[in-house]
Amino acid sequence: MSSATVLARAGRAEWSRIWSVRSSWVLVVCLGLFMVGVAVLAGVDAASNPESIPADATGWDGARFTAMFALFGTVALAVMTSTADHATGAIVPTLQWSPRRGILFAARGLVIVLTVTLIGIILVTLASLVMGALAGVGLPLDDGLRSAGELAVVLACGALLGIGLGLATRSTAASLVLALALLLVLPPIVANLPFEWAATVSSWLPGSAALFLIFGEGPLDDMTVSLARLTMVGWAVGAATLGALRLVRSDAGH
Amino acid sequence: MITVEGLTKVYAGVRAVDDLTFAVESGKVTGFLGPNGAGKSTTMRMVLGLDRPTAGSARVSGKRYTDFPAPLREVGALLDAGAMHPGRTGRSHLRIGAHSNGIARSRVDEVIEQVGLEAAAGRRVKGYSLGMRQRLGIAAALLGDPPVLLFDEPVNGLDLDGVRWIRALLRGFADEGRTVLVSSHLMSEMQLIADRVVVIGRGRLIADTEMDGLLAGLDGQRVRVRSPRADDLAALLARDVTVALHGQGELEVRGLAASAVGDLAHAHGIPLHHLAEVEQSLEDAYLALTEGSVEHHGHVPASAEGGVR
Repeated sequence: MSSATVLARAGRAEWSRIWSVRSSWVLVVCLGLFMVGVAVLAGVDAASNPESIPADATGWDGARFTAMFALFGTVALAVMTSTADHATGAIVPTLQWSPRRGILFAARGLVIVLTVTLIGIILVTLASLVMGALAGVGLPLDDGLRSAGELAVVLACGALLGIGLGLATRSTAASLVLALALLLVLPPIVANLPFEWAATVSSWLPGSAALFLIFGEGPLDDMTVSLARLTMVGWAVGAATLGALRLVRSDAGH
Repeated sequence: MITVEGLTKVYAGVRAVDDLTFAVESGKVTGFLGPNGAGKSTTMRMVLGLDRPTAGSARVSGKRYTDFPAPLREVGALLDAGAMHPGRTGRSHLRIGAHSNGIARSRVDEVIEQVGLEAAAGRRVKGYSLGMRQRLGIAAALLGDPPVLLFDEPVNGLDLDGVRWIRALLRGFADEGRTVLVSSHLMSEMQLIADRVVVIGRGRLIADTEMDGLLAGLDGQRVRVRSPRADDLAALLARDVTVALHGQGELEVRGLAASAVGDLAHAHGIPLHHLAEVEQSLEDAYLALTEGSVEHHGHVPASAEGGVR
């Protein structure tokens, strides 16, 4: 039997793992309601002050801020699904059923990253459509595709970061705290430290890179898209490597 | 067949399993016995590729467990009935196992029926009793209809009906020619089920033998006899064999068959009210074998000792 077949089977099992627990559905539905709700408020506000809308504004711009919520939501979903096995003891049957741990990691990574990235893009698109319709601004397709492409990189890297932290720490709480620190808490704190190097160090954090890729703003004036992408990918691959090593090398329950 | 050779596991300097070598044959139920902390579960985890051996190897049908692309079709195992996501339904839990090993959905319903969980399969596992989780774990082990089965304490939490069911199930598997390795602390249960026993203590092999051979190795047959003239009978018997007085008018005789004791009493006109051979028990054999291997000893309060038998 080929490794591709084993990978496909493990991937199907991972898909079932995500959607056979209520917490995944609750998280996605709540995230969707929150993002669309915020888009509705922003759209109504913009419609009541049409003079505040720039002439070249689109619905994609207006709902761009919801992408940060999508990022936190997808990272949370990635952390929850990657740590659930260790948190509940279900890692024992999981490894009994899929003992080739490298393949299990690949299946878990692929399925979770693709799933949460797609969910994030769908929810941001939904929020943009709502925002555009309420504010009465256009939704050009080429702008939408470009935004979605950039957002996919951010969400995929965020999801891989979450999976890596989850598998490396084997703890939902620890992974969520670490992910929030790297994405939300540390970038502004480090950037505001009274040292010359502080802004540079802050720009190397995944939160700063994500912010730059979504809003075009960062702690350094000379940040570039390629550097921000490289930063996101570096953190994601680094965390995923740590998680993979822990999964492959450590005993199931230790 | 399961083959364990020189298997060793060291956790933080402690040798949980120490140079263990034994083989589990097909067509037999092999009992895996040992005191708490002896290394039984660790050994099973290494056989299943969950823990990495420090040294040695464990193979199933000549292969490492991790070499099987669809392991559920080769080995079914129940290690810890509580090790499953509480938010999943029993059926979902089994479907994930089936998906991961390319097993048809219809097989999930078959094993659910086989373990008697039809009514509960759609409920979330967090609402299951220990016995129901045990049955779900057994269902997962049977998913791939494997030739090799490992069960760690399979009767834990089962009611009498469940115990009789698992007894018949294991016996049936062995009779079909499958390899069955079962660990349990219930010696009476193991004596009924097992054909062969592997006993370990402090991670080392203590015995690897047929059940009959183990029981025969106990210090001779014992006979219980009760008579209103027990003292006279004891005096007669004590010339040739060991006799111990057990309460009012009851003797335990070692080294003589019940028929011989009866004949001797009859020849001297001594009336008997009870005469029976004492069945050799696995519990006695186990306690004798593991006497020096028990790591965790409990203490009985002095005030309670008089009431403990």
